[in-house]
Amino acid sequence: MPSYQAPLRDMRFLLNEVVGLDRLRALPGCEELGPDLIDPVLEEAARFCAEVLLPLNRSGDEAGCVLENGVVRTPRGFPEAYRAFREGGWTALGADSAYGGQGLPKSVGMLVEEMICSANLSFGMYPGLSHGAYMALDRHGTAEQKSTYLPKLVSGEWSGTMCLTEPQCGTDLGLIRTRAVPRPDGSHRITGSKIFISAGEHDLTENIIHLVLAKLPDAPPGTRGISLFVVPKYLPMADGGLGARNGVTCTGLEHKMGIKASATCALAFEEAVGWLVGRPHKGLSAMFTMMNEARLGVGVQGLGIAEVSTQNALSYAKDRRQGRALGGAAEPGQPADAIIHHPDVRRMLLTMRAWTEGCRALSALTALEHDVSLRHPDAETRAEADDFVQLMTPIIKALFTDAGFEVASLGMQVWGGHGYIRDNGMEQFVRDARIAQVYEGTNGIQALDLVGRKLGAHGGRYLRRFFHPVLAFIEAQQDDPAMEAFILPLSKAFGRLQQATAEVARRGLGDPFEAGAAATDYLRLFGLTALAYAWARMAAVALPRQADDQTGFYRAKLATARFFMQRMLPQTSALTAMVMAGGEALRDFAMVEP
Amino acid sequence: MSGTTGAPMVATEAQAMTAPTGAVPPGSPIRRVGVVGAGVMGAGIAAQVANAGIPVVLLDIVAGGAARAVQAMLRAEPAPFMHRGAARLVTAGDLGGDLALLAGCDWIIEAIIEQPEAKRALYAQLDAVRKPGSILSSNTSTIPLAALVEGRGDSFAMDFLITHFFNPPRYMRLLEMVRGPATRAEAVAAISEFADRSLGKTVIPCKDRPGFIANRIGGLWMQSAINRAIDLGLTVEEADALMSRPIGVPKTGVFGLLDLVGIDLMPHVAASMKATLPGTDPYVQGLREHAVILKMIAEGRTGRKAKGGFYTRVKGADGESLKRALDLTTGEYRESETPRLESLSLRDLRAQATHPDRGGRYLRAVLLDLLGYAASLVPEIADSVADVDAAMRLGYNWKYGPFELIDRLGAAWLARALAEDGRPVPPLLARLGEGSFYRVEAGVLEYFGTDGDYHPVPRPAGVLLLADVKRRGQPLARNGSASLWDIGDGVACLEFHSKMNAIDPDTLAMLGKSVAMGKQGAFKALVIHTEGEQFSVGANIGLALFAANIAAWGEIESMVEGGQKAMRALRAAPFPVVGAPSGMALGGGCEVLLHCAAVQAHAETYIGLVEAGVGLIPGWGGCTTMLRRWAENPRAPKGPMPPVAKAFEMISTAQVAKSAFEAKEMLLLRQTDGITFNHDRLLADAKARALAMIEGHVPPETRPLRLPGASGRAALRLAVEQQAALGRVTPHDRVVCDTLAETLTGGRRDHTEETPEAEVLALERKGFMALLRTPATLARVEHMLETGRPLRN
Repeated sequence: MPSYQAPLRDMRFLLNEVVGLDRLRALPGCEELGPDLIDPVLEEAARFCAEVLLPLNRSGDEAGCVLENGVVRTPRGFPEAYRAFREGGWTALGADSAYGGQGLPKSVGMLVEEMICSANLSFGMYPGLSHGAYMALDRHGTAEQKSTYLPKLVSGEWSGTMCLTEPQCGTDLGLIRTRAVPRPDGSHRITGSKIFISAGEHDLTENIIHLVLAKLPDAPPGTRGISLFVVPKYLPMADGGLGARNGVTCTGLEHKMGIKASATCALAFEEAVGWLVGRPHKGLSAMFTMMNEARLGVGVQGLGIAEVSTQNALSYAKDRRQGRALGGAAEPGQPADAIIHHPDVRRMLLTMRAWTEGCRALSALTALEHDVSLRHPDAETRAEADDFVQLMTPIIKALFTDAGFEVASLGMQVWGGHGYIRDNGMEQFVRDARIAQVYEGTNGIQALDLVGRKLGAHGGRYLRRFFHPVLAFIEAQQDDPAMEAFILPLSKAFGRLQQATAEVARRGLGDPFEAGAAATDYLRLFGLTALAYAWARMAAVALPRQADDQTGFYRAKLATARFFMQRMLPQTSALTAMVMAGGEALRDFAMVEP
Repeated sequence: MSGTTGAPMVATEAQAMTAPTGAVPPGSPIRRVGVVGAGVMGAGIAAQVANAGIPVVLLDIVAGGAARAVQAMLRAEPAPFMHRGAARLVTAGDLGGDLALLAGCDWIIEAIIEQPEAKRALYAQLDAVRKPGSILSSNTSTIPLAALVEGRGDSFAMDFLITHFFNPPRYMRLLEMVRGPATRAEAVAAISEFADRSLGKTVIPCKDRPGFIANRIGGLWMQSAINRAIDLGLTVEEADALMSRPIGVPKTGVFGLLDLVGIDLMPHVAASMKATLPGTDPYVQGLREHAVILKMIAEGRTGRKAKGGFYTRVKGADGESLKRALDLTTGEYRESETPRLESLSLRDLRAQATHPDRGGRYLRAVLLDLLGYAASLVPEIADSVADVDAAMRLGYNWKYGPFELIDRLGAAWLARALAEDGRPVPPLLARLGEGSFYRVEAGVLEYFGTDGDYHPVPRPAGVLLLADVKRRGQPLARNGSASLWDIGDGVACLEFHSKMNAIDPDTLAMLGKSVAMGKQGAFKALVIHTEGEQFSVGANIGLALFAANIAAWGEIESMVEGGQKAMRALRAAPFPVVGAPSGMALGGGCEVLLHCAAVQAHAETYIGLVEAGVGLIPGWGGCTTMLRRWAENPRAPKGPMPPVAKAFEMISTAQVAKSAFEAKEMLLLRQTDGITFNHDRLLADAKARALAMIEGHVPPETRPLRLPGASGRAALRLAVEQQAALGRVTPHDRVVCDTLAETLTGGRRDHTEETPEAEVLALERKGFMALLRTPATLARVEHMLETGRPLRN
């Protein structure tokens, strides 16, 4: 069975040395944040994930969820684990203290999220969705809605869902059919079918709070006519207790490739009582604040899977002995050398590590900006940070989940035939990782979001928040000969990204097909360049510290950084060529019968 | 040599003097004009006559009314006068005491109240004082000519016609002209010529029918657009969205237009049409009183001039201005909403007009009303469909006249649609069958005549349209943003055609290519002209902003340098280059003109170096050229500081000349540059000027400047501090002013030595790049692109 140890050293390195706790502490509400406060949180999370969540990952995958008479049973051990999770205060970690939360910044929360995803992705879905519902109600709900629902969501007594998808509409939410009919008492009656609803029904909490997209009777057509409603499974009473069962039932569970312990439900709403959240017809924009958050969360899922897969591939490669190293026996006393001595296995392991640590660094940099965008006292600074988060959200979602799948697949490869055997757990990572590329907006949609909504918006203003600091970093470092191995490749990739960005903007302006045709390659080019920046930032920290390095941490960091620059970043060259080639070959594609 | 113009310049300026420069053609019989009635129309007409440099007498029935009208016009926006000097050509007087002033006038225009008796009584007075052979015209919009000449003698009728101007008279290019059976041909010719060349109007001959062309068709359109909107239950926003962009009408649509002209005008127009048109006319048949509109008039909600109309604005909770719109069913205001109709999202007009939603049904109904009516009125109101289209384009600012709209929809489709609805198909439309009202035959635009044949759309002598040139053939060179055309007699025309004619790298490349081709002898002179209303809004700052956002500093710097190079090449061209702008010539567009050997400008040209508005300074030689112009201006005080102060004042405040005359005062145009009043004549005038300059043309030398250096910079800074103390300078204004001062005063040099031009240009580049790197400038550029308004940060 796979093992997992949270990468606390790397996490502390990022927080304390790369991002810098001082920047975090400059934010209101974070003044007290220090290692003495953060370390126990991370250590306890690490312990909980390794001891409670990880052991349920395989069994949960085998057992799956069961639907009987409209009731969903999660796999054995899940209710107990959830109770422990809740009692440990983990559902309250990032929430506002006004509702019983601990108010920890995203910079810390994202690290805990990653650990949960590494240990048990399915389990993580339940609190993850609750947090999304918390965000939507916190930003758009009335005072009454907040006081009714938020404390229970924060304490984890109740959980939440996001009900968007219907049989006829996934990406195109304009096609929604679920109806909301107003009642004289100010409530609404919701009727319709929703599918693919994660945590839509389960036995972990006493109540489930559904956030449902539906159309009012006078709704304009398309996405501008969608409203958001809060529809609890049990109607809350004034005293905080549970009232009548609402008209929402689980009519089916999906049979999926992975995340089998996550209950993916079909829900039927029949005259269910709901209340409007936010303004009529503005549901989509309310949902989007939640969706952007969720997309970052899905990116972290990719990162989490990548980490656990890398750990298990590495330990296997150290233990497994097959053949001899190409340059002669590395361990002559043994019947065969460990496979870690083989260059191609090293290539795989370094690729896995470079993706994983690079993505973690980029996520830490983004989490800081996320915290700044919410907490900084100056409105302009908040807006600038938000621009950066807006820009990076589709990149993180698509790049990290592609990386998660690629790394999980490489991890299986390192294990050879044993990776393909269910008992060993490596193939579960591949199956679990795969969904992250699909849900919360497929990665193709992320690429379209990047070129369509982020690239040209406000004359390219979002881009400024990436390009200017990266260029400033390059200019500041380029005279340091020790940094040349990192700055030169970064600066080349940066130049390619500038060129491709100008070209995509120029062509896409006149012809959206061209922008769409370039989107996925462009996103990956952007993502790799952003990782190169993250790696160069880490290298700049590690270089002066490697001399006194007792643990080898910094040397390993620099070795991986060199590997990334030499063996992964050159993909930007090919990607640039692909982007510059334009969409003509796609345009010519003809629908021919086979 | 400093302070004098070099020999080569004298040579070109002398040549320039022989080219047409003013508005009054030599030998024009109209040397003095009288206007009676100093209302909005009369006063505005008098101002336009004065703008043309012709003395004008303005009399009003109310004592002191004319003088007050002139004073009011000096403060009005948009300004009726093109420059303050024009006002001095207006002699204001009272009809009671100053009638004799009209004795010296060659043309007397009556613009008093729309009452036949009042007009006839006035004509009796005028007839008694006017000089023999002088011409009299009425600006009536509703009264038949026959009714006006009633009771007057033959000699009056011979000298009388109707000249119907549109409001505001300076800006609207249409003049409807109606001659009576007795009107002298010479009188018609003299007024046509004067209105055309001196006042810049397009004269459209009309029949003596109520409302002439534009108001007859435009009035029916408005009536139909209102009736159908109410019948089909459209909101005012939906109706205006459909009655604007889809059919090429200004964005005010119909309800917005009513707010603009005054809703209380409607009953008057209706009454006049009802009184003069037969009861069977669709206009009369469609006359309806809408309770909601009557209520608005009764409550004084008559449009923008009053307390709101169909739209109004209120202050929101945060002090922001909120747009509200009238609900046509309840008569109450509600929050204005962006219309969402599928029909609106389509691109093709016919697809829109056949869409089943209420927008499509509305569009179809109004188009059938409008186009069926227009087609039934030829030849009743005008002899040619081309005249009708021109009247609607120029009088209502429509992009397409009704017959051009029919061609877009398909004449046969329209005929079938009319028949389907059980409406009559106008004979002209039926005769056209499957054809179109316009066609291009051998490169010539032709229209379908009432005789069933096609005829060339007539162009008066001295009119040269780039559109006609384009129909005749292929450009000499072309890219995405500019083209080079052969306009005959060895002259080429460089045309900008990017969005808003913004200047981008393609434009600069074509500038360079044009100069190179001219050097190789492809042509002997070059005119720079654009077909649309605007010359150029300046450099494409959207591109610059995007490039700045991705930190592509090298690209931007090479674009600035490339621009300077193109401008220098333009100025150094061995053949004459004549700029022929109209409308906006701002920023980089202005810098193009500053580097032309001569300019022939449309009177309505708005020139300025407006870069400071977006937190930048002119970078394509604008600073350098303005320094030189002020330094070489014989009227300016001597010394190194005055030119710098003048250029600084103009550029730092982003001043824009509101006419070609103001541009001359600001030295954005030279005294020798020409001004053309009629837009259609601009290209021909510019070409004539270019041809006249070919002989002996020598490009100007590049001479160094003498700039004040650090002491000048200190003086400018002090001036900025004084403005700042008055609260007129924002924090970023100060940064821009500092950079501009550094550039204009010559950097490290001072007045004891000469600053080579290349050094000033390098300072321009440096200043431009430094400013573009500031977040505040990027915020200004972004704000300008997104809102069209400057950001004061």
